[in-house]
Amino acid sequence: MFEIEVNNKIIEAVPGETILSAVTRAGIKVPTLCYMKDLAPSGACRICVVEVDGMKTLVPSCSYPVQEGMKIHTNSKRAIRARKTVIELLLANHPDDCLYCVRNGNCRLQGLAEEYGIRERRFPSSKKKDHMLDATSPSIIRDQAKCILCGKCVRVCEEIQNVAAIDFVKRGSKTVIAPAFEQSLNVSSCINCGQCVLACPTGALREKSSLREVDEALHDKDKYVVIQHAPAVSVTLAEEFGLRPGVDINGLMVAALRQLGFKKIFDTSFSADLTIMEEASELVHRVTTGGKLPMMTSCSPGWIKYVEQFYPDFIDNLSTCKSPQQMLGAIIKSYFAEKEGIDPEKIFSVSIMPCVAKKFEAARPEMGRNNIFDIDAVLTTREVARLIKMAGIDFDSLTPETADLPFGTRSTAGKLFGGTGGVMEAAIRTAHYMITGKELKSLMVEDVRGLKGVKEAKVKIGDLEVGVAVVSGVGNASKILEEIKNGRKDLHFIEVMTCPGGCIAGGGQPLSTDQESIKARLHALYNIDHSETLRTSHKNKDVQKLYDEFLKEPLGHKSHELLHTHYIKREVLS
Amino acid sequence: MTECNTKSFKGKKALVVDNDPDILEQLKAHLGEMGFEVTTCESQAEAEKAIEANDFDLAVLDLMLEFMDSGFILGYKLKKQNPELPVIIITSVSTETGIQFDVSNEECRSWAKADAILDKEIRFEQLEREIYRLIA
Repeated sequence: MFEIEVNNKIIEAVPGETILSAVTRAGIKVPTLCYMKDLAPSGACRICVVEVDGMKTLVPSCSYPVQEGMKIHTNSKRAIRARKTVIELLLANHPDDCLYCVRNGNCRLQGLAEEYGIRERRFPSSKKKDHMLDATSPSIIRDQAKCILCGKCVRVCEEIQNVAAIDFVKRGSKTVIAPAFEQSLNVSSCINCGQCVLACPTGALREKSSLREVDEALHDKDKYVVIQHAPAVSVTLAEEFGLRPGVDINGLMVAALRQLGFKKIFDTSFSADLTIMEEASELVHRVTTGGKLPMMTSCSPGWIKYVEQFYPDFIDNLSTCKSPQQMLGAIIKSYFAEKEGIDPEKIFSVSIMPCVAKKFEAARPEMGRNNIFDIDAVLTTREVARLIKMAGIDFDSLTPETADLPFGTRSTAGKLFGGTGGVMEAAIRTAHYMITGKELKSLMVEDVRGLKGVKEAKVKIGDLEVGVAVVSGVGNASKILEEIKNGRKDLHFIEVMTCPGGCIAGGGQPLSTDQESIKARLHALYNIDHSETLRTSHKNKDVQKLYDEFLKEPLGHKSHELLHTHYIKREVLS
Repeated sequence: MTECNTKSFKGKKALVVDNDPDILEQLKAHLGEMGFEVTTCESQAEAEKAIEANDFDLAVLDLMLEFMDSGFILGYKLKKQNPELPVIIITSVSTETGIQFDVSNEECRSWAKADAILDKEIRFEQLEREIYRLIA
């Protein structure tokens, strides 16, 4: 540690850290735009410039290392003027269609312009007109006109997710961010995770909205519109309405959905319980019959596309279970339709997901039967908040309601699917019961909890010792896959969530990548698990009833027909 | 063909219009695999002659050909001949102009004379899904 002077105040700094890191720790705010915590700095935008005594030029604080005795001025006239100029130049090259923009009111560029009092146009507009709008992907829209070339999307895609679907193309003023050969995202290696959408400071990357289709269906007299909500949504939706992260508004959300006109509101955590029944049975079957191991979870569609494209040798390791979204979709249009006497073709099945890859998953051709698709439209948490706001629903006037039967009951194990480690914890609870006939002594599996990108444990189930790994962020998953390729053999079951932290930090969630918010969301799930009594999937009475009345047994004929699928190698450009 | 749908369209006739010969060739091959007998045209004028001479069961049209709205004109002519004919437009109009056409309700479909619009570049499974949705 040594001392530096910042704005005439002495603060401590650690050798090797950047100016930004030291001043932020001391509570001094320096604006950033392209900066990404925990990633190597790129210094692309120059918004964070500060003045250092004795240096000829301003320095970017995000990438410049501190030196002992440095005298720094973060808000000198020169620094502020430079920042203003950068913002003005970005605005001169940015479309003026804020009123139409999905990020209006939540745009970093707009925020900086306001913060720095930029209320007059100093440079004449030279906004880009010839840049394309890529609306081809079922998950993500790429609007190059709004891109400020900060490169955050490129870095998250390459450095966190190890996908590198997009990069800087061309040079100088012609530079754009695009997939290979400047083709569209739809035919690129993009896995649709949407982490780039969370990283993007403007509206250049956004989800492909399905609100119009859902609205049409809700007003179509011939349609029976049902909706399911994913485990991670109820603990994040509140943030879209200005509440602090980690508040669970499950009951209010259900009440709002009912007011919107959905005929039935189902809980995807129910089908997470169903997934566990199938997946734990599959794991037990593979372990006891010498099947392909390690088995890997299959509920995260970005991960599935990642394996199909980059690691097709591991396709047989993927569980054949469909994701909870698709399982519930299939059950709604079979068991539920039959039970209620509704023509499955008249059912319009909507899901609310924390994820934009779920839109791609729902459109996969194998996700249905006889031209009846499991899911008709997927809304993200952000989109459903917009739908609620558009309908003028006031949360303060609502009283909490419960989801509809027969798919409204869930265990807390199913709810834990919303965070990294949740599927594993739920599966261990049920696999233990299936193998030993007894419940785990302590249902909480501490080793698989928390936000660490890779967590490993040895779990004792009866006489078996099962090696498990929990991974979030597909970049982390690729490291484990490489280890297995190189001969690692001690793992039996691996949970992979595409997004770092799992679904609570999915690409369809409220736009925050702040670790404290994500921690609060995860703890909201843990609190639900600690405070309720139904904590294992196999004890869910409605899941048991579904097996008794319809599916008969896990991995049985009906399950295979409706709840399982398989994947094949995917060429990137197809 | 996908797992979800195994129906073959043997004996059915498809009209495919696009001024990009590579796309035309790919669509012809894929639709041929699904069982369609495929007629390909590279222009609106050529397609208009084909429409006069044939009855099609499916039309897959590019939007911007000799004219910016060639696909809509062809859709109009095809629907006039047979209102039930499924018309799918595959276009890069959004990419090139930023305009996004909507056919999510009957009113929009009736003026666009199209039952589905897909943005180029497409994965063939997207087109396949629309075909099954419209002809199954």
